[in-house]
Amino acid sequence: MTDGAQIAGETGDAVVALTDVEKRYRRTEDVVVDALAGVSLSLPEGSYTAVMGPSGSGKSTLLNLVGGLDTPTSGSVAIAGTELSGLSEAERARVRGEEIGFVFQTFNLMPRLSAAENVAFPLVFQGVDRAERMDRAEELLADVGLADRTDHRPNELSGGQRQRVAIARALAGDPALVLADEPTGNVDTETGDRVMSVLDGVNDAGNTILLVTHERRIAEHADRIVHLRDGRIQEVEDVTGVETGENTGNAEGGDSAGGD
Amino acid sequence: MDFGETLRLSGRAIRAHKLRSALTVLGILIGIAAVVTFVTFGASLQADVVGQISETSANNVYLVAAEDDEGFAGAGRPVFTESDLTTFASVEGVDRVVPRGVLSVTAISHRNDTIARTRATATTPDAFASTTFAAGEPFELEREEVVLNRRAARSFETNASVGDTVTLTLGGGRTRNLTVAGIIEGSAGQVPFDAFGSQARVFVPTDPLYNTVVESPSAGAPQRVYPQVTVVADPAETGAVRERVEGVFPETDAAQLVPDGFELLARTSGDLADQIEEIVSQLTRFVTGIAVIALIVGAVGIANIMLVSVTERTREIGIMKAVGARNREVMGLFLTEAVLLGVLGAALGVPVGVLAGWAATQYAGISLTLAPGWFVLAVVVGVAVGAVAGLYPAWRAARVDPIEALRYE
Repeated sequence: MTDGAQIAGETGDAVVALTDVEKRYRRTEDVVVDALAGVSLSLPEGSYTAVMGPSGSGKSTLLNLVGGLDTPTSGSVAIAGTELSGLSEAERARVRGEEIGFVFQTFNLMPRLSAAENVAFPLVFQGVDRAERMDRAEELLADVGLADRTDHRPNELSGGQRQRVAIARALAGDPALVLADEPTGNVDTETGDRVMSVLDGVNDAGNTILLVTHERRIAEHADRIVHLRDGRIQEVEDVTGVETGENTGNAEGGDSAGGD
Repeated sequence: MDFGETLRLSGRAIRAHKLRSALTVLGILIGIAAVVTFVTFGASLQADVVGQISETSANNVYLVAAEDDEGFAGAGRPVFTESDLTTFASVEGVDRVVPRGVLSVTAISHRNDTIARTRATATTPDAFASTTFAAGEPFELEREEVVLNRRAARSFETNASVGDTVTLTLGGGRTRNLTVAGIIEGSAGQVPFDAFGSQARVFVPTDPLYNTVVESPSAGAPQRVYPQVTVVADPAETGAVRERVEGVFPETDAAQLVPDGFELLARTSGDLADQIEEIVSQLTRFVTGIAVIALIVGAVGIANIMLVSVTERTREIGIMKAVGARNREVMGLFLTEAVLLGVLGAALGVPVGVLAGWAATQYAGISLTLAPGWFVLAVVVGVAVGAVAGLYPAWRAARVDPIEALRYE
């Protein structure tokens, strides 16, 4: 089995740098699960990386660590040059807010907030004043083709529209990294493609993306695919230039049909 | 996270479950309203009682023989003889001495209307020296006359008026026809508080109707004996007169007639006011204590609903944490929500309580006295109740693991 050494050379200007990361969960007194067993991975600025692997391979654990939601048992996780393991819960919350934008499979929008308020929500915790937040939100919603849905509640939006709101929200704080966890998992194929084209556009605009998926077709939107198995990196596959519906991320086309 | 946004989010969460929030607020509302009602009523009662120590009775010294441990509140025993009245009258600074006896009656009739009554007050014309008469004048001793207060005069089917004849049925079935000599306002200084004058009262002359007699130890002859004596003092030295009256107690028949376990007491209106004020405020405190229990129940309601809310919104908490909310910001949000519920309950509870307090004072026939300090306290309590009740749920919310929360369905 290879480890991540083959890409370690790029850590210089990396947005995310994992070094020999291990994560063990203690299930019971004597059952210990090695979720990650020595993973080193580096995401250069502007890169587009997909992580694939069967369930139990450590995908979710990796995502939680990179997202600053969890801390490693050993090894180092650095986001935008900040080492996460030494940080307090409050400091990690700050890193999550400012450096990471989450896109979840189940959208995870705040149900009682409008689309624009959802997009602006991360900025609430960064002390940005309301007028500025709402301006930024409308700008981002326009970018994902939802300029006319700013006042809608999540339950008034289709799955695809919700996911685009979530992508806009992920970008609100101008994060170093966008983390997408099965972003097409809860929408049909056609809508999924539209969501992916928006995400592609986000990468084209210079954002670093880490995409977790179990669908090869979706993973191929990235530049490279990291294959995880049993908590280790099995293979890093370069997929630059593999066919992807080259749509420069302008979601204009998806707007009218937006529904599932 | 700015406070405006915290308020906005909390307010929205409260509005999202209107009925649930309304019921929770109702719990606090009832608690605060109950406290405010009883406090308002208590304050009104106290102000009324104290305020109505009528100027006319401020210079009265009341004498009774009461049981040791009951103080002035106990029922008096008839111990003051005619000789004692003379003794008290000769004390320096005493203007008049008014005896009061209780005459047992079973009924009083006017024309064809008979009402049951248990007692009439036997006294002397001096009792009315500073009383306002609505009509007529005091009775005279040795005459078959009666004085009624307004309430008593009105209790007949056709109002009794001066010159009418009323028939008093005494214990044993004997009847006496008495002419109404006068109708008074209030209670003729029977007690120093006009509030109690709203009861119906019937006054008759001691002579000839009052016939509770005892062998006077000093005179060696039978004399009328009274349970209560009012010594009307020179207004300038009421306190001094009380002490002097107490000084002559040993010389009186009363001192010999007083049964074991009883003692002679001399009290001024002020003493009585203090005593009654104390009783009223104790009662108020007791009832308010019960109302506070209602408030605690309301607080439990808030805690309960906030715990439900935290569970329901686990995923929202996860989202908040994922987008950069710190634990204390999550906690602040839930705490604000709980405090808002408490403040809302308090803000609505105070006017409701004042209204109920007003209704109670109307019912009791006393004037409304507000206790504004308590309103401020009620709001503070609302905030405190919300905060205390919300503390644990908010802490639970802050401790939610975002990884679990985001997977929460």
